[in-house]
Amino acid sequence: MSDTLQKNRRRRKNHLPKGRQLDDTAVAEVAKLLKGAPGQRDLLIEHLHNIQDHFGCLEAKHMRALAEIMRLSQAEIYEVASFYDHFDIVKEGEAKPAPVTIRVCDSLSCMMAGAEKLIDDLEAGVNPDEIRIMRAPCMGGCDVAPAARIGDHELGNATVESLLALAAGKTDNKQIPAVIPDYKTLETYKTEGGYEALEKVRSGEIDFDAMLKTLSDAGLRGLGGAGFPAHMKWKFVRGYQGPRLMSINGDEGEPGTFKDRYYLERDPHRMFEGALIGAHMVEAERIYVYMRDEYPAVLEILRREIAALEKAGITEPGFIELRRGAGAYICGEESAMLESIEGKRGIPRHRPPFIAERGLFGKPTLNHNVETLWWLPDIIRHGPKWFADKGIEGHPGARSWSVSGRVKNPGVKLAPAGITIRQLIDDYCDGMADGHTLKAYYPGGASGGVLPASMDDIPLDFGGKLAELGSFVGSHAIVILSDQDNVKDAVLNTLQFFKHESCGQCTPCRGGTEKMVAMLQSDEPLDEEAIRDLETVMRDASICGLGQAAPNPVNHLLIHFREDLAQ
Amino acid sequence: MSNPIKFMLDGVEVTTDGDETIWEIAKRNGTRIPHLCHLDKPGYRADGNCRACMVEIEGERVLAASCIRTPTEGMVVSSQSERADKSRKMVFEMLASDMKPPEEGPDAQSDFWVWANDMGVSDEKRFGSKFDDGHIDRGFDITNPAIAVNLDACIACGACVRACREVQVNDVIGMSGRGSHAAPTFDLHDPMGLSTCVSCGECVQACPTGALFEKTLMDDAGKTRVIEEFDKEVDSVCPFCGVGCQTTVSVKDNKIVRVDGRNGPANENRLCVKGRFGYDYAMSDDRLTTPLIRRDDTPKSGDADMRFMKISDVFREATWEEALDLAAGGLKKIYDDRGGNAIAGFGSAKGSNEEAYLFQKFIRQGFNTNNVDHCTRLCHASSVAALLQGVGSAAVSAPFTDAMKSDCIIAIGCRPTTNHPVAATYFKQAAKLGKKLIIIDPRGQDMMRHATHSLRFTPGTDVAMLNAMLHVIIEEKLYDEQYIQANVSGFEALKEKVKDFSPEAMSEICGVEADMLRDVARTYATSERSIIFWGMGISQHTHGTDNARCLIAMALITGQIGRPGTGLHPLRGQNNVQGASDAGLIPMFYPDYRSVENVDIRSEMEDFWGQSLEPKRGLTVVEIIDDILAGGISGMYVMGENPAMSDPDQIHARKALAKLDHLVVQDIFFTETAWHADVILPASAHAEKLGTFTNTNRQVQIGRPALDLPGEARQDWEIIASLANRVGLNWQYEHVSEVYTEMAAVMDSLNYITWERLIEEDVLTYPVSNPGEFGNEVIFTEGFPTDDGRGRIVPADLLPPDEVPDDEYPMVLTTGRLLEHWHTGSMTRRSQVLDELEPEGIAAMNPYEISRQGLTAGDVISVHTRRGTIDAVLRADREVADNMIFVPFCFNESPANRLTNPQLDPFGKIPEFKFCAAKVSPMVQREAAE
Repeated sequence: MSDTLQKNRRRRKNHLPKGRQLDDTAVAEVAKLLKGAPGQRDLLIEHLHNIQDHFGCLEAKHMRALAEIMRLSQAEIYEVASFYDHFDIVKEGEAKPAPVTIRVCDSLSCMMAGAEKLIDDLEAGVNPDEIRIMRAPCMGGCDVAPAARIGDHELGNATVESLLALAAGKTDNKQIPAVIPDYKTLETYKTEGGYEALEKVRSGEIDFDAMLKTLSDAGLRGLGGAGFPAHMKWKFVRGYQGPRLMSINGDEGEPGTFKDRYYLERDPHRMFEGALIGAHMVEAERIYVYMRDEYPAVLEILRREIAALEKAGITEPGFIELRRGAGAYICGEESAMLESIEGKRGIPRHRPPFIAERGLFGKPTLNHNVETLWWLPDIIRHGPKWFADKGIEGHPGARSWSVSGRVKNPGVKLAPAGITIRQLIDDYCDGMADGHTLKAYYPGGASGGVLPASMDDIPLDFGGKLAELGSFVGSHAIVILSDQDNVKDAVLNTLQFFKHESCGQCTPCRGGTEKMVAMLQSDEPLDEEAIRDLETVMRDASICGLGQAAPNPVNHLLIHFREDLAQ
Repeated sequence: MSNPIKFMLDGVEVTTDGDETIWEIAKRNGTRIPHLCHLDKPGYRADGNCRACMVEIEGERVLAASCIRTPTEGMVVSSQSERADKSRKMVFEMLASDMKPPEEGPDAQSDFWVWANDMGVSDEKRFGSKFDDGHIDRGFDITNPAIAVNLDACIACGACVRACREVQVNDVIGMSGRGSHAAPTFDLHDPMGLSTCVSCGECVQACPTGALFEKTLMDDAGKTRVIEEFDKEVDSVCPFCGVGCQTTVSVKDNKIVRVDGRNGPANENRLCVKGRFGYDYAMSDDRLTTPLIRRDDTPKSGDADMRFMKISDVFREATWEEALDLAAGGLKKIYDDRGGNAIAGFGSAKGSNEEAYLFQKFIRQGFNTNNVDHCTRLCHASSVAALLQGVGSAAVSAPFTDAMKSDCIIAIGCRPTTNHPVAATYFKQAAKLGKKLIIIDPRGQDMMRHATHSLRFTPGTDVAMLNAMLHVIIEEKLYDEQYIQANVSGFEALKEKVKDFSPEAMSEICGVEADMLRDVARTYATSERSIIFWGMGISQHTHGTDNARCLIAMALITGQIGRPGTGLHPLRGQNNVQGASDAGLIPMFYPDYRSVENVDIRSEMEDFWGQSLEPKRGLTVVEIIDDILAGGISGMYVMGENPAMSDPDQIHARKALAKLDHLVVQDIFFTETAWHADVILPASAHAEKLGTFTNTNRQVQIGRPALDLPGEARQDWEIIASLANRVGLNWQYEHVSEVYTEMAAVMDSLNYITWERLIEEDVLTYPVSNPGEFGNEVIFTEGFPTDDGRGRIVPADLLPPDEVPDDEYPMVLTTGRLLEHWHTGSMTRRSQVLDELEPEGIAAMNPYEISRQGLTAGDVISVHTRRGTIDAVLRADREVADNMIFVPFCFNESPANRLTNPQLDPFGKIPEFKFCAAKVSPMVQREAAE
């Protein structure tokens, strides 16, 4: 081909204005799918979901059409669509994804349970034109690892056979819906005294100050991972000029964590009641529930029960708004979650200002994790002491431990704050799995670091001894490793997760996670000074907790597991 | 402004207002903290993402980004701690590890490498590159004609995104992907050259690493910078539109190799594609470098197809002496034989104020005639007529940057993103701040995406629509009674006139819903500060003056004028159309709009210039052309104008030019007009001259020479002076500054604006009230410069366009400009980048209309009117209304003005470029010369 031809091929066609042209058919198709006001910027991710769900992908012509309808630029659509894992962008001339998608979790617990082999076997066993096999980060099925999902059907203890049986005869993800577990509906919840606590609050029987005292006495702390005292949060938010908003963080993405899912699949109204109490107390004008897209069954339960609350007149229509995540761990970080609710890329915000002052849509925002709210009605019903007494000396309150890995009986364990790993394994999980000896444990999901068996007597709670060891309890996700596991492999898995999930905004996290993975993967001897330098800049200079905590497992690997490092 | 606070920075107590960031305070105190994503330039928000500027704050667990953090009372900050320094160095080391070595990357002189070298970040790599395993695309893209993208130098700092989204508000670049895949992309991750990118180059100016970089400074492959040093960097001003962007022009080997935006009041570092990448016309091989004289054996003909002729077939080279003698002698002879009425001159709005002043002085003084005009006649003459009548001054009442201070912005009959791109950035920014943006235009435009109200009305029905709005304001008593009583005459007559123009009655005529008309009228009238911008869509009609009168009436009765964020702003088209008009390059006025027909003024000017002057106003552009054909004018001097392309009814205009006994053309290129000349004088390009230029905001700015004159070309002002002396005027100017000083002496508007101040300060806004002041950005703060100090309302009647569609010519033709081309294309089509972006003549219709007409986009079609036919590539453009054809007038192979209607507005004498009856057909085979 001559140079001139090459040049002309690159050149825009002069008979059209600049850029991709609008396709009228695509506009009509997209317009039909949109719910809510088309010009509402914060609905962008919802709209993308509708298109992805309907067409199985996001075609360029549909994104162009969506930009036109929403009066956004194409770039604004693309940057959001490309940020989240659950959107499949298909440009002109590219193939659409296979009609059926199987996602297999490759995070820590599932990897230990054989996810890699499952993925290999699936890839060898399916026609890629019909079924696409994708790796996915933790989907909250750690107690039934390996976890997988086909269409919207979530599957524990997944095997090639069980997945392919579900796939048989299916030509569209939509044909494989979520399986909704039995759960306590509004009606049942009410017959058991549900929403009585809310009524006490709404009637003024419990005022704001009394409520704060109750929360304080109960020792209720944020159970999403940060452990910030709930009563202080409420006080801050109320202290800023309204209008105020409330958000519920249901983006339970910390690998090894599945407690929120556990509760919502059984008794969702406790969370709703807690949320409505909180919203009343801080005078929030609306509640946004941000639920991760990895939990299709929970999403459906929430949809149904929000409608039920409206129908029962407990909430005004639209007072609780459900927003669907789209596959991004970082959106569990509260400010990133707010960005996502606003329909943007989920990148954490700088602090100050804190979201209590300037949060969602710039308004003072009360944000809580699902479980924190879930406890509220019972704390009001039974009194603060009831909750505080569930803990042990110096560690008030109960905790919902998500335990997975090499234990005999994994699952969500309700146990005191401050419990040791040894007690948790022995008293709540029926001991280690057969043939396994405790070697190490992750006390707080992927980011809380990894401690050796020799430290099996540390009280597990916010701060304290754990903090001294460069560790934390976070979302109370415990992953147990045994003598049959290599800690370096586990740490690499964890770091690969962080690399994949880093939002990419700041240099230390974006570059640090990537370079740490490369160093751990390399056959070269580890340059420990260099990796320590990475650790330092990540801790000191990352914008949010992801980058600051990501080096924790590496730090512990270098201190406690040198024999695995050497292998 | 917050209360003052005290804090410690590096052991020193500092007081700050609480709004300044730690980085800014450190800079103020002489400490340079490294920075990459933070640009420290006007319009750029700090983003705090690169973490190159970390500092340590006592008591805080982690370091803080100083660019985004404001100190609080008692805070103790260390910018020099070992911990902070370590993190900053690590940031650079990590970023550098993903890059090629500086000498192989796009720009070893980028801010990134300057800082990295300063900090001693070594080349030795401890970390691999993220590109090593091939999973991440290096993103090399050279599809844009001006900009090379090398994403392996990208640090994902998002400066380009802020440049594109927040500063220029073009919204083409987004930060896509996540983690180590995060990278800027265009539209839906399209090649830059195939995206909606308008090539403003703001991203290039913002990028701290050279990942987005000017191709002109790079090797042919677009990978590495090869021009490392400049011979000089000249502070100047852009040669193109009336916005008047300040520039820094970098020169190497007498070639301009880069233009950057400078922090002028009208552009704050911003530029558009023309200003940044369109400079190379001045270095074109097509430049005229030798005086030329028409061969004796080449008769003139208005219908010759010049595209197939060689210059040497028609002209021979001559010495300056011979050419000047012939040029001046020819004019002198006609004057001597037939008097001043037989002479006319077209000056230029592209030249400097000094050139404009000298040109009109030469015509008036040398030939005792006022037949001197320029292209303002084709642009805003009707606006000028209406403004002079209504508010006593033709200049804008407030700068376009006041859009940011306004609550309601009306942009009517203008397409700023195309024609005033940098002004448009302020309108879009204002809309993003939540201000009401009301766009009124028959054609759609990209700015409508940002607008609160978009009114696509029926072409030619401006008065119906605007009178309906006036009707609402009066009927609903939304006018400012007090303001009217104090400052406005003619309100009662207006009231009476618009009584019958209810929105309901006008809706059908103008094609806008009555509710919308009411909403816009209310929004405009009741906002605290409302401002109106308009362009050729208002002025280029036979009822153009009436259109402008309606806008003036709206401002006067609501008192939306004379305060910041309010007013009337006709967006001036050319870089110096304001200045050229101010300098008297118009047939009815001496400098400063002082009437030639006023005895006192005339005698004052006669004293000043030392001879008697013609008491009658002269002819305007189109009248001059008609007068030639009527046997009146037979000698013309045309400097920097191209009437053969720019005037309506081109065949008629060229016939007139060919009929002249003597035509002197002074230009930098061999224009379509030059073909008809007797003598051609090679002149100076903007980049070669020193002079002052006045932008649409009344800002007088200095342009400085960056290039040497090519060949024997001479400065325009010197050529005018040479001719003047040859007709016996005895001018004695040694330097262009003397011309300025003489001009300023007869222009009160330039009081206190001295040449020395301009050289020193680069820009001043007229009027300046006191010595040393910058000038008044907003005028009419207390009444108007009319005889009685009051604004005068002139009610307007409904008049249809001159030529309405009929069975034979059923469509409406409208003409205008494209982003990439300017005026008749004589300059921009000789710019490689601009030509590559818009290379050939087009005619645009919407896709539905194309299909109704049975045509296919991309085919060459013919467009016909009663004046003629042109061929052009058919463009499918949704912005063009049904039953309309849009043809830009910059393409000489598809000259729009062969088609246009020369009928004039009775007051402004402006032709109706925006409306005539037309039809389209597949291309008609015709003789080469029709």
